Amino acid sequence: MIGFILRRLLASIPTLLAVLTLVFLLVRVVPGDPAIAILGDRATPETLAALRSELGLDRWIGTQYFEFLGHALRGDLGASMVTHRPVWTEIAEALPHTIVLTLAAMAIGCLIGIPAGVWAALHRNGPIDVLTRLLSLLGLSFPVFVSGIFLLIVFALELHLFPVIGNPRPGDWIDGLHKLVLPAVTLGIVMAAYVVRVTRSSMLQVLGEDYIRTARAKGVPRRSIIWRHGLSNALIPVVTVVGLYVGILIGNSVLTEIVFNRPGLGKVIVSALTQRDYTMLQGMMVIYCFLIVVVNLITDISYGLIDPRVKQ
Amino acid sequence: MTLRITLSAALAAATLIAIPASAAPRTDLRVGMAAQDVGQLDPHRAVSTIDRTVVAWMYNGLVRFKPGTMDPAQIEPDLAEKWESSSDKLDWTFHLRHGVKFHGDFGELTADDVVFSLKRASDAKTSAFSADFAALKTIEATDPSTVHIVLARQVPSLLGLVTNYSGGYIVSRKAVEKYGADFTRNPVGTGPFAFVSDTPNQSLELAAFDGYFRGKPKLEHVSYRYIPSDSSRDLAFQNGEIDLIYGKQDQAWINRIRALPNSIVDVFEPGELANLNLNITAKPLDDIRVRQAVAYAVNRPELVKWQGTDTARPGQSVIPAGYLGSSKDVGLVNTDVAKAKALLKEAGYPDGLTIKIIHTQLPQMLGSMQVVQAQLRKAGINLDIQVVDHATFHQQIRKDLSPIVYYAAARFPVADIYLTQFFHSASIVGKPTAVTNFSHCDVADKEIDAAKTETDTEKQVALWVEAQKKIVAAVCAVPLAEALQIWAHRTDLDYGYELKASLSLGPLLTEATHFK
Repeated sequence: MIGFILRRLLASIPTLLAVLTLVFLLVRVVPGDPAIAILGDRATPETLAALRSELGLDRWIGTQYFEFLGHALRGDLGASMVTHRPVWTEIAEALPHTIVLTLAAMAIGCLIGIPAGVWAALHRNGPIDVLTRLLSLLGLSFPVFVSGIFLLIVFALELHLFPVIGNPRPGDWIDGLHKLVLPAVTLGIVMAAYVVRVTRSSMLQVLGEDYIRTARAKGVPRRSIIWRHGLSNALIPVVTVVGLYVGILIGNSVLTEIVFNRPGLGKVIVSALTQRDYTMLQGMMVIYCFLIVVVNLITDISYGLIDPRVKQ
Repeated sequence: MTLRITLSAALAAATLIAIPASAAPRTDLRVGMAAQDVGQLDPHRAVSTIDRTVVAWMYNGLVRFKPGTMDPAQIEPDLAEKWESSSDKLDWTFHLRHGVKFHGDFGELTADDVVFSLKRASDAKTSAFSADFAALKTIEATDPSTVHIVLARQVPSLLGLVTNYSGGYIVSRKAVEKYGADFTRNPVGTGPFAFVSDTPNQSLELAAFDGYFRGKPKLEHVSYRYIPSDSSRDLAFQNGEIDLIYGKQDQAWINRIRALPNSIVDVFEPGELANLNLNITAKPLDDIRVRQAVAYAVNRPELVKWQGTDTARPGQSVIPAGYLGSSKDVGLVNTDVAKAKALLKEAGYPDGLTIKIIHTQLPQMLGSMQVVQAQLRKAGINLDIQVVDHATFHQQIRKDLSPIVYYAAARFPVADIYLTQFFHSASIVGKPTAVTNFSHCDVADKEIDAAKTETDTEKQVALWVEAQKKIVAAVCAVPLAEALQIWAHRTDLDYGYELKASLSLGPLLTEATHFK
């Protein structure tokens, strides 16, 4: 298992390198200029030139690239062009919030999605199945900035159960949990809607397999057929989907963080983008890519745990 | 930012949220700003509404506008307690107030700090406002509490340069030297509120400056929160989680917030005038008949109706109303679609024409532009709008990539600055001295230059009016509408003055601001 993980980690190095290069180029292809973004509409060409040289933007792009690469490989992502704070500090402050939100949403998504999917599969084409499918369609059709606002209106404004502004007090985990509920549910709904569909179809497929029929014929109890033989096999595509979905989840977390005003990578990246904070953007993209690589790795490892055949 | 300060600030906020309104008046103010983050806290580089609003709470100028106003006639002492000038207005002496302290351990204000600040504001390397200070020849401290300024030429208003606005803010020399490039995140001023901490993407925390020379502020703590989502910000205000909120220049928003219990909508000056700047050197706009057709096709009252009668008013000249030297009588034409079509035909476009332009995606500006687009279409002028994000828009209009530039701005309320920046040939974009002359207008240079050195105010105003007439006659720009500043606050918050105007574009917080 350790050899497998190491091989996978090594294989991701070229990916990260390509990503670093792409990120560097992409950030510079986006029109707009950090100096104008920082100095605003009153800046004279002289002032802009002074700031560009202060930020090192007047140097040859190749020099900038190799410097960025050299620093990045040594783990130095530089300092934000706008706030002057190290990119790592900003990431270290924002990342835990995003991870907690994503994990909570995944948990909600799986806890609702998997049982509901199994249930729907067992009642194929019955009213429960139709209702589940309808609800999942609804969950998928609402963008998080609509469902988020809806939850805020109901649970914050009308019922006064949660605050609108969701940045947790540092060090107070009860407050953190309290403020996590609405965003996690918002993000979890989409996840659940997705998981339901995959679980249902995967379960239906598995239940039609020969070995299930054999088990039934042998008189294996229904409960054991569904959970032991059925679900454990049906889960493999679900895990793949959940793994792949983390990418989408992180994307959606950007919107969720903005709606609920939660600190997190999403908020940082949007502000870096609007301010054309090149160093910050580069750093954030690198971290995002790294996260996706890690999630894929975890997904692969969990295959091995669910289905021993994968390891061999 | 230290953990301890953050924790105590958070704890203070938490306890105060928990205390019911029946207790003693609150002393912590929570402000909701439409921002991801603050940009520049260095007052000489703070240009956005987000930055300007909060910078004004931390710094002072030598003189200041009476809180709540922007009338140059009501300028009053701030860090300088009195001043005098020579009869030719070229020689100015400012006497500083004694015992003014900087925030933190940066000691007392001296003339040296003032000289340092004004020189810094005039230097393009350290200031976004250096162009405004071009006429300052020497700035010296004659003794620790006296500053002597000599001008190279007369300026319409020297006091205007040293007010609590833009480059006029006084910073601590020691602090700037200590923090260097990080001064922008470690602001040190003399104002009623001192910087405590800034957490990007969350909030900026300020505390009352106990040593403030006008007395200890009544508010103890100010939390300037970044809430970029419009709907979340509104919901937080509605839910009582914030007391003061950045609003929208939109009638529907104003009506909705006004209908909430315990809320007051603030509508105040300055009005930001939106002009349609027409590049008089670019085809097909180099033909004055095409530009006149645009002027006849624009319908200002309709635009105002769309933006909202509480926040917008029709543009009356190519410079905003109420500025010293602004005039209603500059020869603007009223809407006449038939005439616009006739002019186009005369110019050789009997079937109309299409003009490709670049515009920002900012919803408010895009919406207004789409109304203008519909108006021009009636006369046969099709605007092919390429929508880009705001930073890109700013970059591209400075490269002359758009023959028509929609630009909304407020400046110091004297005609000179608006005229010079938008309509003097030296300010044409692309030139080394470029500012924001997107129309390549050069028809009123003589009047603008002459007015700068005219000592007789009446003659000076006459020159400015003449300049506006020439610019309007040449159709360098077509004024659209002026939009006022919109904020809202909860009824128990009292600014301590009547808010009619604020050049920092947000309500000024003073030592008198408090909760009832």
